[in-house]
Amino acid sequence: MAQLQLKDVNKSFGDVHVIKNVDLEINKGEFVVFVGPSGCGKSTLLRMIAGLETLTSGEISIADRLVMDLPPSKRGIAMVFQSYALYPHMTVYNNMAFSLDLQGFSKSEINERVTEAAKILQMEHLLDRRPAALSGGQRQRVAIGRAIVRDPEVFLFDEPLSNLDAALRHDTRVEISKLHRQLGATTIYVTHDQVEAMTLADKIVVLKEGRVMQVGSPMELFNQPENEFVAGFLGSPKMNFFDGQLVGSADFQGDDVSAQGARLVSTEKSAGDNVKLGIRPQHLVIDEQGALAGNVTLVERLGTETILELLTPGGTLFRFASAESLDVEVGQDLRFSFDAAQAHIF
Amino acid sequence: MISRTLKHVVLALIVFIWVVPFVSLVATSLRSELASKTSGFWTAFTPTELGHRFSTHDRGLDEPVLSIDGNIFDRINLTEEDFPVSGTVESVLFKGRVADPENPGKTQLIRKLVPPGEAMSVRDGELVFQPNGDYILTFDEPTIPKPKNLDVFINQDPVFGAAAYEEVLLENEDVPNALIASFIVTIPATIIPITIAAFAAYAFAWMRFPGRDWLFVIVVSLMVVPTQLAFLPILQGFSGIAHWASSLNAWLTDCELSNSCEVASKSYASLWVTHTAFGLPLAIYLLRNYIVGLPRELLESARIDGANHLQIFVRLIVPLSVPALASFSIFQFLWVWNDLIVALYIGPNNGEDLVFPIRLQQQLGTFKDQLHLLNASAVISMIVPVVVFLAMQKYFIRGLLAGSVKGG
Repeated sequence: MAQLQLKDVNKSFGDVHVIKNVDLEINKGEFVVFVGPSGCGKSTLLRMIAGLETLTSGEISIADRLVMDLPPSKRGIAMVFQSYALYPHMTVYNNMAFSLDLQGFSKSEINERVTEAAKILQMEHLLDRRPAALSGGQRQRVAIGRAIVRDPEVFLFDEPLSNLDAALRHDTRVEISKLHRQLGATTIYVTHDQVEAMTLADKIVVLKEGRVMQVGSPMELFNQPENEFVAGFLGSPKMNFFDGQLVGSADFQGDDVSAQGARLVSTEKSAGDNVKLGIRPQHLVIDEQGALAGNVTLVERLGTETILELLTPGGTLFRFASAESLDVEVGQDLRFSFDAAQAHIF
Repeated sequence: MISRTLKHVVLALIVFIWVVPFVSLVATSLRSELASKTSGFWTAFTPTELGHRFSTHDRGLDEPVLSIDGNIFDRINLTEEDFPVSGTVESVLFKGRVADPENPGKTQLIRKLVPPGEAMSVRDGELVFQPNGDYILTFDEPTIPKPKNLDVFINQDPVFGAAAYEEVLLENEDVPNALIASFIVTIPATIIPITIAAFAAYAFAWMRFPGRDWLFVIVVSLMVVPTQLAFLPILQGFSGIAHWASSLNAWLTDCELSNSCEVASKSYASLWVTHTAFGLPLAIYLLRNYIVGLPRELLESARIDGANHLQIFVRLIVPLSVPALASFSIFQFLWVWNDLIVALYIGPNNGEDLVFPIRLQQQLGTFKDQLHLLNASAVISMIVPVVVFLAMQKYFIRGLLAGSVKGG
C-alpha cells in the first residue's frame, strides 16, 4: 500500500505552471529523492506535500488519507528546512518539545520523547544550549531531532545539506542514511546534488520544468535512463552525446561514430530519424582500432580519476574518464571503442 | 582621514550642544537661590569670590568681657544650613569713622576692605581675622558689646545641595502629583498602542486577507496627519461621548440627587485614546517592517509543528521582536511623557491631574525668577525618560539597526 500518493497534481503561480500532472507513489519505508536542476519545481512539490503550498488541482494522500484540505500539522509529516529554521530564542530541548507542547502532550511524555530523539542523534549534552551556540552540523541534527519527536508518517527534507561545508556534508549524508535505516521512516528528500541522490535514495524522482522525467532506483536510472535529460543529469562527468541517424531497429549511424545493437530508448523513433547516441565517459575504452577518434583538448587529473576532454574530427565535444592516471597530453590523438550494449539511442 | 576628523569634530560639537543645557539645568537646580540669581552656572564649579554677612556674636551677652573669638564660617553657617560656606576669607568690609588726618580732632566716614591679619575697629575694640576664618575681637577694658554685622568677601569653594528638590517635592504636592499623573498617562499610552500594533503588524506581515496591502498603505499614510489638524474633531467626539455617558449615568444611577452626573470629556482615558491613535501608524509601520524580516521558514516550521496564528504570534513573533518592541516603546514613552499640546487640549484640566509638561509651564508663572526651583522640577521630569532610555538603550540601538544587519 502506498504511504504517499500523488495523483495528477498541478500547481500554478498566476500564469506560471510550475508543477505539471505529477503522479507518484511512495511506499512505506522508502527513501525517495527528488532531484533536478534549480527551478524544476522539486521544492514546490515538497512544500505542496507539506501543506505549505496549496494545490491548483490533483490529489495527495498520506497513509490513505486525503490531505489537501488539512493544515500542515495534521498531515502526519515533519519537515527539515534548508536553513534549519530553529527557534533562536529557545533551547534545543524546547525547540524539540515545541510541537509536542502544542499538541498537548504531558510534560513527562515530552521529556521521554525528546530524550529518546536526543539519544538517537547523540546530542543529549546539547539540550540546554541555544541554537546560536551550536555548529552547523549540530543545528542540522537539532532540526532532524525536531522532526523525529513528532513521529511522522513521512519525513520531508528540503536540501538539508546545502548549508554545510563539504566534509560535514559527507558525514551528515552518511548519518542521514544510517538514521533512515534505523527509523525505517518514509522519507522524501529534495536536492540538486546528484551524488546525494545516488547515495541516499531507494528511489529517485528526476524532475524537469515541473514534470517527472523518470522514477526508479539509482542504478535503474543510471543504466537505463528513459530520456536524454535523465541520462545527461545523472553521472559525472556527463554522458557524451553524438548526432546521427537511426538505421534499422537499433543501429546508429553518425558522422563520428556508429554502433550496432545499442539500447533504443525512444519508442517513437523509426529508421531514418535523427537521433542521438549516448555513451558514458566511463564506458569508453582506449583502443587503437576503435571507431571513435578524438583530439585531446583538456586533461583533468583528480587523483582518483583522470578526465579527458576531446574533440572529434566532426567537431563534437566528448569526455573520457578513467581510473588510471593516463600518460596523455593536450593535442594528442586517441581512438576509443565501446560496448554497444552500454550505449543508448535517444 | 579628514572626513574622520571632521566626523569627530561634528560629533563633539553635537555632544557639547546637548550636554551644556543639561549640565546647566542640573547645576542650577543644586545651587542656592542666591547663587543661582547672582552668578551663572559655569561659576559653580570653581572657587568664586562671594560676599556674605556675619555677626560677631549673639545677642544677650550679660557679663563684661575682654575678648570675643569665633570663626567667620561658623557664624555664616548658622543661617546657611543647606549650602554651608567654606573657602578662604579674602577681606572684610570696614565701614566707620576714623580720625581724619587732614582735620585734626575730626573724624571721617570711610569704607575699606581690610585684609586678613590687619586690625580694624569694631565696637571700640580691635578685630583681627585669619584667612581660615578665625577672628578675635579684643577690648581695652571689660565691656558688653552689641553684636556687629560685618560684610565679608570669601573665595568660596563650590557647594551644592538638594534644597531645591526638597522644596519642590515635599513642600507642596504639585510636582509629586504631576509625576503620578504623567505615569498614569504615559504607561497605558505606551502599552496600549504597542500591543495593538504588534497584533496588526503580524497580520500585515504574515496573514493573507483581501485588501491587505491597500490597508497597510492607508495606515502608513496616516503618519503624516498632523496632530493639530485633528484636535477639533477629536474634542467634539470626546464631548459627544461624555454627554452620552452623562445621560447614561443619570439614567442608571441616582446621581441627580447629588448633582454629580457630569462625566468629564477631558480625562486620562481620552489622552490614552488620543495617544494610541496617533502612535499606532508609526508603531504598525516599524513593527511590520521588523516582523516581515523574520525568516519565513521559521514561521512555516511553526505551522508544521502545529502552531496557529495566535501561538505563532505569542511564542515566536513576540520574543523575537523584543528589540523592535522596545525601541518603539521608548519612542512612544518619550513622546507621551514630553507631550504638552495634546495634554493641554484633551487631558484633564483640574490641578491635581495636570501632567508634568503642563505643571512645568505653570511653574514658569508661579516661580518666576526662582531658577533653582524651576530647574529642579525640570530635572525631575527629565530623569524618568533618561532612566527609561538608559535601561533600554541596548534594545534601542539594536532596534534601530533592525533589518540592516543580518543575524543581530
